[in-house]
Amino acid sequence: MAWNDPDWGRKSSGGPPDLDELWRNFNAKLNRMFGGKGGNRPPAGEAGQPGFRGAPLLIVLILAIWLGSGFYIVNARERGVVLRFGKFVELTMPGPRWHMPYPIETVEIVDVEGNRVTEIGYRQSVQNRQPHEATMLTGDKSIVNVLFAVQYRVTDPQQFLFNNQIGDDQAYVRQIAESAMREVVGRTKIDSVLYESTQVANKAGELIQQMLERYQSGITVQNVTISQVQPPEQVQAAFDDANRADQDRKRMRSEGEAYANDVIPKAKGTAARLLQEAEGYRQSVIANAEGDAARFRALVAEYNKAPAVTRDRLYLEAMQQILSNTTKIVVDQKSGTSLLYLPLDKLMQHTTPEAASMPQPKPAATPDAPRAGADEARMRDLLRNREGR
Amino acid sequence: MKPKAATVLVAALILLVIASFSLFTVDQRQNALVLQLGEIVSIKTQPGLYLKAPLVQNVIFVDRRVRTLDTPDSDLIITAEKINMLVDSFVKWRVADARQYYVSVRGDEKNAEARLLQLVRDGLRAEFNKRTVDDVVSGQREQVMESLRANVDREARALGIQVVDVRLKRVDYSEKVADSVYEQMRQERVRVANERRSTGAAEREKIQADADKQRQIIISEAYRDAQRIKGEGDAKAAAIYAQAYSLNPEFYAFYRSLDAYKESFKNRSDILVLDPNSEFFKYFKNPGRGGK
Repeated sequence: MAWNDPDWGRKSSGGPPDLDELWRNFNAKLNRMFGGKGGNRPPAGEAGQPGFRGAPLLIVLILAIWLGSGFYIVNARERGVVLRFGKFVELTMPGPRWHMPYPIETVEIVDVEGNRVTEIGYRQSVQNRQPHEATMLTGDKSIVNVLFAVQYRVTDPQQFLFNNQIGDDQAYVRQIAESAMREVVGRTKIDSVLYESTQVANKAGELIQQMLERYQSGITVQNVTISQVQPPEQVQAAFDDANRADQDRKRMRSEGEAYANDVIPKAKGTAARLLQEAEGYRQSVIANAEGDAARFRALVAEYNKAPAVTRDRLYLEAMQQILSNTTKIVVDQKSGTSLLYLPLDKLMQHTTPEAASMPQPKPAATPDAPRAGADEARMRDLLRNREGR
Repeated sequence: MKPKAATVLVAALILLVIASFSLFTVDQRQNALVLQLGEIVSIKTQPGLYLKAPLVQNVIFVDRRVRTLDTPDSDLIITAEKINMLVDSFVKWRVADARQYYVSVRGDEKNAEARLLQLVRDGLRAEFNKRTVDDVVSGQREQVMESLRANVDREARALGIQVVDVRLKRVDYSEKVADSVYEQMRQERVRVANERRSTGAAEREKIQADADKQRQIIISEAYRDAQRIKGEGDAKAAAIYAQAYSLNPEFYAFYRSLDAYKESFKNRSDILVLDPNSEFFKYFKNPGRGGK
């Protein structure tokens, strides 16, 4: 890479800038040929002794060295650019090559396969920030930090070498990329920059490509990737809260849906229960009716055969059942003039068998008392149940 | 043979020395100015091998490629609404006329760059003074750059320079303004956050209210249907009863009354005060005589 990385702009005055460069290359080649010995010293041991064929040999040797300096190797990912007296003559493909030696022809080698990367807003890692590169103004007058990288390749070595003073190609592309990205971000609202960064990157990539083509730089953008895009630290908290608010909104929504998903099925369950109960009621009422009706029909059939007897029997059975379960007071009123006094409340007391048999209240310590009380309660419950029916 | 070879060697060396003083190569990337005692004698714009008079003439090479001039740091430039902006730009330029370039900047690159920088700064001020922040940041960024390019190019022609492009890089608020921008951004986010939260609450409310409505409808409709079903049952039962009891209504009344009595009086707490002259006690006092 050292060959096609000349620093033209700095060495302004002082002759053709590539002379000493090439001289150095030449020396380096000589070094290589003589296994690292001094470049210009004739290697022949008998050079000091003026031999019989010393001079011609020297001439041949010098010629050979001069011609040999034209050999060069182009690696697989490179192209060689050959200039004859400063004019471009050919582009050489990978392999061992030979050009007419200096000063007739010179060669410059350019890496065309390798992907090169330049980072804008940071170097190597996003922790290593370059704030002045990253901070940008958006279309809605907000500030945003964009850290991105551009991958590019040299696709046209001729253009790359001849049209621009490129020097450090990373810096060259970085400058163009920064300008392009700022232009794109300047046209875009902050939300789009933050949340649709891929589109921003694509637009910036197109713009960078346009500029590189306008300058005929021989460089092609492979892609533009946004490594990080953030609001400035000063407002980071507010942005985070807005994002949390978005989460909150979703959460509330799903809470509402959860409520609906809880309530509606339950309501459907209740509805089903109501319908089932109604259906049960319908069937049971009908069944009861059919039962009662069947019983009555059967009875009526018998009744029709012997009405009087059946009537009496039914009446007596009913009365027996009633009177055997109730408290009865038979009052025989002959004349009906005397006023009959019935202490009903006393009678009521006597009706409960426990109350009748129970003497004075016993001390609470006796174990019977609570049981008696419990019995009483049970009785009352029973009564109440029966009344309820 | 020996002296001959040596002679050849020496002659070749002398020839080389002379050639190196009187020949020069012009690269594709350069123009060459041939100077004789400081006067420009000729300009070589085509690449190739050229001759010059040794010693009296010297050659100056001028790079013709497009170069980049980056403003070293951002300038404070005021926009139409009197806001200070930090502006950073770069210029792509090349030597269009080597002779004029050499003459006007005396061949000193630094000189050229300083002049160009001044032109760009003046141009920037002019463009920004008549435009708003919005225009220079988003609306008319390209127009700003294009008219800058055209103006600087026109001015720079006098230096033998062609301006290929002028590009804005940074166009940022100065520190003071930036703080108020942050404040605005913060408020905007607060507004967004509040809006989102209240929207969320409203949505939740709406969904829940809708669920409650549906619940009521579902239950009420079920109640309606249930009542109808029960009614059907009742009707059916009534029909069955009527059909059966109409076989003998009088007996039914009797029979059903007995049932009712049994149901009504079945506890010890029910006290019946009875007259022994009633139908039930027919035989109670007078056994043997049935009836009254």
